[in-house]
Amino acid sequence: MTQDSLVADNLPYLDISDPGFSIRSDAVMEAREASWCARTNYGLAVLRYDDVQKLLRHPKLRQGSYRWPALNDVTGEFARWWESMLLSQEGDNHARLRRMANPAFSPKLITTLAPKFTELATMLIDEFAPKGECDFIAEFTEPYATGVICELLGLPFERWRELADIAAEMGLALGVTFKKDLPTIEAATKRLFDYVEELVEARRAAPKDDFIGMLIKANEDKSQLSDQELLDMIVLAIFGGIDTTRNQLGLAMATFIENPEQWALLAEQPELGRAAVEEVMRVRPTVTWVTREAVEDFTYNDTPIEKGTTLHLFSQSATSDPRVFDDASFDITAERKAHFGFGGGAHHCLGHFIARGDMTEALKLLSQRLKNPRFNGEVEWLPDSGNTGAIRMPIAFDPA
Amino acid sequence: MKVHVNMDICLLHGQCVIAAPEIFSFDDNGDLHWVEVIDDSQVADAEAASDACPEQAIILG
Repeated sequence: MTQDSLVADNLPYLDISDPGFSIRSDAVMEAREASWCARTNYGLAVLRYDDVQKLLRHPKLRQGSYRWPALNDVTGEFARWWESMLLSQEGDNHARLRRMANPAFSPKLITTLAPKFTELATMLIDEFAPKGECDFIAEFTEPYATGVICELLGLPFERWRELADIAAEMGLALGVTFKKDLPTIEAATKRLFDYVEELVEARRAAPKDDFIGMLIKANEDKSQLSDQELLDMIVLAIFGGIDTTRNQLGLAMATFIENPEQWALLAEQPELGRAAVEEVMRVRPTVTWVTREAVEDFTYNDTPIEKGTTLHLFSQSATSDPRVFDDASFDITAERKAHFGFGGGAHHCLGHFIARGDMTEALKLLSQRLKNPRFNGEVEWLPDSGNTGAIRMPIAFDPA
Repeated sequence: MKVHVNMDICLLHGQCVIAAPEIFSFDDNGDLHWVEVIDDSQVADAEAASDACPEQAIILG
C-alpha cells in the first residue's frame, strides 16, 4: 500500500450524491472534527473555515463546474454558453471578461437601485399582507428576485413570470436529469438568447447609462468584449441572479421563523438589515458548497491532491466551524468573520452588491410588515446540498 | 493619488489584481502588494479596483 492511499484511507467518507445527504448533518460535523477534509464519491469535501478560505483562492485550483456539460455527455447551445461564460473561464480570458463586466455590477449602481427594491417589495407585500398568510416563495421571493432582474435589465415588472419560467427551465441543466431534460433546456436557452438579443438591439437604438448600457459600452471595443460575449454575460446575469436570490430569501425567512426574537429585533432596528443578510448567508447559504479542480498535482495539509481532483469547499460547514466561531448560533448583532456564501477568490460572485442590496431592503421591510411569522403547512425543500432552498413555503403572520 | 488596502478586512480575493494589474499584484507566497503612490494616468484603474473589491478594502486618497 502506498503512502497516498494510507492518507486517503484515514479520511472520513461522505456520500454527497445520496438524495438524503444533508450539508447540516451530524455526519458532516463529525467529519469536520476528524479531519480538515473528507473523501466523497466525487472528489474531496473541505470542511474547516481556514482551509475553505485558503483553497477558494489557491493558485493550483481552478473553478470546477466548467466540465459539467461534458461530464453529462451533453453538447448544444446551453453547453456552448456554459463552457464559454465568465465563471468557466480562467487566467487572462477570465480577467478580461471580468474587467469588462465590473462597471455594470459596481456598488455605485446599487445606490440608484435601492429605492426601486423598496418599491418592488412594498408592492408585493401589499398584495398578500391583508390575508395574513402566503406562499412566501410563489408570492414573494420568486417575483421579487425576478423583478429585481427586470429592473436591472430595464424590463417592465410584468415580464417577470416569463423570465422566471425560462430561468427555471434552463436551471434543469444543473440537476441530475440534465441529459433527459436537454430538449427543454435547449429551447429555454434559445428563448433567453433571443430575448437578450432583442434587449441589446433596443438599447443600442435608445442608449441609456444603466446595466445593459454599461455592457454595451464595453462592447464598443469588440476585441475586449465581443458581441457573443456581451450576450453571454447578460444571460449569466439573468440565470445567476434569479434562483440564488429566490432561494436565499426563502432560507432567510425559515431561519428567522426558527429565531423569532431576531425577527422582532430586526423590525425594531432596520439598520441591522445588512448584518441580517450576512448572518443568514453564514448559517443557511443557498450555495452550500463551491467547487474547485486541481490543475496540477500538489500537496496540501500533508495530503497529496492529484491533478483533476474535484474539491467541494463546504461553505456552510466552514462558517459553523467551532475553531473560528465560539458561539455559532444565529445572531444578527454578532461581529463575524466573512462567510463564503458568494464564493471567493477570482470567481467571487459578480452580482453580490446587487444581491446584498436587494435582500437587505427586502428583509427590512418584511420584518416590519409581517409580525410573528410561522410555518402554515408543509414546506417543500430542494435537497439540502449543492444549491438549496425552499420550493414552497406556506407561512402565516400578523399583518402590521 | 495614494493607494491603501485595509488588510484587516482584505480577504485576498484578488479582484484588484484582475481590475488593475499594474497597481496590485500577488507574490509567490500569495501576499498582496500594491503601488502606494500612483500618477493621474492610473487613477481610473485604481477606482475600478476599489469598486470591484468585494470587501471594499481599498482606500484611495
